[in-house]
Amino acid sequence: MNPSFALKAENLTIMFGGLKAVSELNLEIPLGGIFGLIGPNGAGKTTVFNMLTGVYKPTSGSITHGPTGHRIDGKKPFEITRTGVARTFQNIRLFKDLTVLQNLLVAMDQNPAFKKYNLLPTLIHSRSMLDNEAAKQDAAIEILKIFKLEHRSDELSASLPYGDQRRLEIARAIATGARTLLLDEPAAGMNAQETTKLMDTIRDIRKKFNATILLIEHDMKLVMGICERIAVLDYGVKIAEGVPSEIQKNPRVIEAYLGKAATNDHAK
Amino acid sequence: MGLSNKIENTKSYAGLMSLRWWLLAIAGAWALDYVLPSMLSPYIFQILVLAGINVILSVSLNLVNGFTGQFSMGHAGFMAVGGYLSAFLTTSLVEHRPDLMIDPATGELLGTAVIFYFGSLILGGVAATLVGYIVGLPSLRLRGDYLAIVTLGFGEIIRVILLNTDAVGGARGLSGIKQFTNFGWVFTFVVITVFCVWRVVHSAHGRVLQSIREDEIAATAMGVNTTQGKVRAFAMGAFFAGVAGGLFAHYLTTLNPGTFDFNRSFEVIIMVVLGGMGSISGSVVAAIVLTVLKEALRPLQQYTGVDLRMVIYALVLIIMMLARPKGIFGTKEIGDLFRGRKKVKGDLT
Ligand SMILES: Nc1ncnc2c1ncn2[C@@H]1O[C@H](COP(=O)(O)OP(=O)(O)OP(=O)(O)O)[C@@H](O)[C@H]1O
Ligand SMILES: [Mg+2]
Repeated sequence: MNPSFALKAENLTIMFGGLKAVSELNLEIPLGGIFGLIGPNGAGKTTVFNMLTGVYKPTSGSITHGPTGHRIDGKKPFEITRTGVARTFQNIRLFKDLTVLQNLLVAMDQNPAFKKYNLLPTLIHSRSMLDNEAAKQDAAIEILKIFKLEHRSDELSASLPYGDQRRLEIARAIATGARTLLLDEPAAGMNAQETTKLMDTIRDIRKKFNATILLIEHDMKLVMGICERIAVLDYGVKIAEGVPSEIQKNPRVIEAYLGKAATNDHAK
Repeated sequence: MGLSNKIENTKSYAGLMSLRWWLLAIAGAWALDYVLPSMLSPYIFQILVLAGINVILSVSLNLVNGFTGQFSMGHAGFMAVGGYLSAFLTTSLVEHRPDLMIDPATGELLGTAVIFYFGSLILGGVAATLVGYIVGLPSLRLRGDYLAIVTLGFGEIIRVILLNTDAVGGARGLSGIKQFTNFGWVFTFVVITVFCVWRVVHSAHGRVLQSIREDEIAATAMGVNTTQGKVRAFAMGAFFAGVAGGLFAHYLTTLNPGTFDFNRSFEVIIMVVLGGMGSISGSVVAAIVLTVLKEALRPLQQYTGVDLRMVIYALVLIIMMLARPKGIFGTKEIGDLFRGRKKVKGDLT
């Protein structure tokens, strides 16, 4: 099997009480691509991420992970991460009282590439357990280097500047070993210069790790600058999908973002 | 400073905490056990033994409440399971197989009887672990206050079960327990507890626990099986509480269901909070300080006729919450304070 997609969602729907937050969503994220998910506030973008990563169970529909062919809907978040899909959070969720390196190690410990040791080798410090720990550290430092954070590895993660905290979250997602990365507003709160740097980093990690990237973002410069394909969500419904130039021209998208009046003004 | 340097550091740090030193410490304790009684009064000895037991309790509870961030209020319940089981085992042996325990000529305990004592302590710990699993599996899905209430209820259930179990004396309690516990035994288990908790905390397992404390949602998103992590912490904490219960039983020589009431759990919680949630050395220091304080307050209590202990505990706790909400040491260890700031090497200490 040689799938062309990293993730495929079919007829994904979720209800919160009476509210249909996401409705009959079909989404296919091409393997190795950078895919943007955009839409106005409250459109349901984060809810889609929460379904893809197992935080919410979809009311109906299915989610398939391309590289393994596994159905991942209904699985627990940690199982989905181990399958190969990891995420960042819109509201940064670092392990604040742990250091930068430890934040990565928490993820690296669960990376299927590394062996896990039970209680006994942990207590007696078996040679191979220590070697494994050292190897995980090496791998973590390598990732930190890509993000230019290695010199801060021993600092508490909460002490990093805001932009670096967002970047550390991406680094942590990579450390899980997952190669499908879901980034929820990675540029939120960053200035223009930091955003440009972030765009380079995202391209860089796609290349270095053969990663597939699905990102939610309000910063149109970033979205239009790096996404190869974009889907637009409005009130839980996908209203458009295509390459950036198509999306920019799409009247339904302009309407969703600016309201009906704006499109009318535009037409005049 | 390169990476190799960093790992080098961890290795030398690991050397400092190596098995050798811990074994030496245990040997030292047994040597002291022969020397000290002739130098110190039995009263001081009693305080040392009680302090040691409290260290075991607070360090093991810190694993759950401090490192994993789960607020358990049932530590006395696990202590009761271990204490009662081990005491029941040794008293049964004395009753039914006195040939294994008592020297018929002198009526004294046989030297080999300590083997059965040691076995009973471990079995008490294992039983507490099993109970920890049974309580933990369903209840650790609950968060915060709910878990606190469930574990509080668990402690009470254990007490009521003991109260109604005739095999262990019911309300009368269990008496005639041989006094096996001495300073050497207590200190041996203090070392074992601190060693095990230290190594677990500074390992991949420990990172699982700390990630749960820091942010459970982020932890699961990083592939951490949080339920498994919590249950393991709970079970390991329960094991040492069970052993501490056994040590305590074989020191007191009599048990009744009230021995392990909620006040015991509360005392241990205070030690953990005072020392710092997530600081092993903090728990050790707080357990010792509070044990001594409790004894120091005894004359005052006899004089005034009221139990001032709980009042003072509560006051200390309130003052702490205002002055140092994270406990004396916070999440730092004593060594970190001397090094000036929290410096965490890759972790393999
Ligand atoms: N757990 C929940 N319970 C009830 N309603 C929810 C829940 N989670 C999300 N919603 C609702 O679903 C809708 C979509 O929310 P979501 O967070 O997915 O929007 P979003 O597109 O990420 O918006 P933003 O750009 O502001 O982050 C909102 O109306 C929100 O209130
Ligand atoms: Mg959102």
